[in-house]
Amino acid sequence: MASITVIGASGEERVLRANPGQTVMEVIRDAGFDELLALCGGCCSCATCHVHIEAGPTDALAAMSEDENDLLDSSSHRGSQSRLSCQLPITDALDGLRVKIAPED
Amino acid sequence: MTELADRDYFTDHDILVDPYAYFEAVRGKGRVYQPKGKDYLMVMGFEETLEIMRNSEDFSAIIGLQGASAPLPFTPHGPDITAQIEAHRGEFHGGDLLVNLDDNAHVQLRALVNRLFTPSRLKANEEFIQAFSDELVRDAVANGGVELVRTIATPFVTLVIADLLGIPAEDRQKFMDIIQDAPPPGNLDGELDLDAEDHPFMIMGGYFAQYVAERRADPKQDILSELANAVYPDGTLPDEMAIVKLGMFMFGAGQDTSAKLLGNAMRYIVDQPGLQDKLRADPKLVPALIEEVLRLEGSTKQTARLARRDTKIGDIPVPAGTKIMLSIAAANRDPARWEDPQAFKLDRPKIREHVAFGRSAHTCAGAPLARVEVRIILEKLLQYTADIDLDAEVHGPRGARKLDFEPSFIIRGLSELHLKLTPAAGVDLSPGGSPMIQKSVPASGPQAVPPAPVSGPVAGYSTASTKLATLLSDPGAKAVLDQHFPGITADKRIGMAKSMTLRAIQKFAPGQFTDEALDAVDRDLALLPVD
Repeated sequence: MASITVIGASGEERVLRANPGQTVMEVIRDAGFDELLALCGGCCSCATCHVHIEAGPTDALAAMSEDENDLLDSSSHRGSQSRLSCQLPITDALDGLRVKIAPED
Repeated sequence: MTELADRDYFTDHDILVDPYAYFEAVRGKGRVYQPKGKDYLMVMGFEETLEIMRNSEDFSAIIGLQGASAPLPFTPHGPDITAQIEAHRGEFHGGDLLVNLDDNAHVQLRALVNRLFTPSRLKANEEFIQAFSDELVRDAVANGGVELVRTIATPFVTLVIADLLGIPAEDRQKFMDIIQDAPPPGNLDGELDLDAEDHPFMIMGGYFAQYVAERRADPKQDILSELANAVYPDGTLPDEMAIVKLGMFMFGAGQDTSAKLLGNAMRYIVDQPGLQDKLRADPKLVPALIEEVLRLEGSTKQTARLARRDTKIGDIPVPAGTKIMLSIAAANRDPARWEDPQAFKLDRPKIREHVAFGRSAHTCAGAPLARVEVRIILEKLLQYTADIDLDAEVHGPRGARKLDFEPSFIIRGLSELHLKLTPAAGVDLSPGGSPMIQKSVPASGPQAVPPAPVSGPVAGYSTASTKLATLLSDPGAKAVLDQHFPGITADKRIGMAKSMTLRAIQKFAPGQFTDEALDAVDRDLALLPVD
């Protein structure tokens, strides 16, 4: 179990319980942050689950694949801390992660 | 006479022909409506549809395949029926298939599927899609016309999935033969039994079980090995049957949806004035065409949820146990969400937010594949032709078309679409190399298996340890099989499972191969002497 903090489009901030086996996208989506569209449902195909990693154990995040890198390039809101949250499996080591949902493209 | 909004969506053949007029009649009653005399709610609004799709806490996907009108296998009681659903999951139609799963079981299985549809995977698959669609389309254009749905769309999408899953090339024709005659899910004229012995899923399951067992014993560098040995995100190895069912489900899901989407898209291309020339002039518009067809006439008309907790849709209280039909086709034409919703437009803002593929946890995992395969084959059809038209002798003239739709409450799709194809000037339609499919494949099992060595005074056969091929090759054992299962040794479907034991085959056809029947076969086999 890990706790992650999510900041929504409106600035709303919530601490969410996250279980290994889920992805960060699933945790955010299931908590009702509807601005995270996640249109493709998690197969790294649409870039609509884009988040910015704000703080926390960034070294513990899964490495970025070429697919993810290419898709993030399609976003005009890409920053140095951009990730697709469907590509971030939850592990206990992610406890304390802070992510902000990126603006919609 | 019953007014349109209160007619039975699930059995009415007029609604099948034009579900859109019916949905507008229901929308006239409200965004959420309970038809007279029915025990389910119909959701027409886009926002309400999204709200329910996103709320997987309160709404279970368990009735996705059987639909909102079918009775529940239990009488719900109390404010939370989650435990009752799980206790009866096996009694629901397709209860353990991905589309119907909830909660952690869904998250775990879905993670395996997601890995199959990544862009790099699809890029590798695209080579096959390009080559195979090229072959099919050249052939069709050279013939001056084609029946699109059965001759092109169905084999095309079936083999694309086969390629994606890594089905060996020599087995592909067999999969095509099997699936060609499969009816779509959600049959209007009675229950389609997914567990029936002769359902194509069951036959393909035999192959899949074989692949999975082989790749687990001896992994190779291929997709099947990866799928067979993939672990759930929680680190556990899936049961072999879970992988088998997943593979079968992917074939079914791909056939009924992508193939029908191609037919639906073609109708717009032909019947929207000027559209095909516009697309030929600028093929980059094909993806926009696909999205608008998905919105207006996507191949899934509706899905369903079961309220598992006392909850609400908007302000409407919904008690646990309420069956809900989500009218995808109606949500995608909701005037509150879409400007001029009945009109075909190529440049709608935020068009990809339609719900043709659903949304949230159960979003269609194959959507990226559907988009790629339909785009490529449409590009080929446009590229190789100067004009595409429907065959007026079969379908009547523009404006008064006669079309037959699959009798399904889930699928919106044509049973047939006969096209006239005028070749583009100067296009070379000669076959471009060796065909993708070997047409003359012997109808044997996935692998020829040599008979197991026999020792001792009796033949030593059993339904648990002897492969079917071995039993069939021994006249005595073959006679035992024919005695207990008349006709079985001549049934070509069973021949496809030759490398399995009867007890393994039983998993796919428990109704035909009961424990009692197999025990009786074992008793007779035990008496057989060595040859």
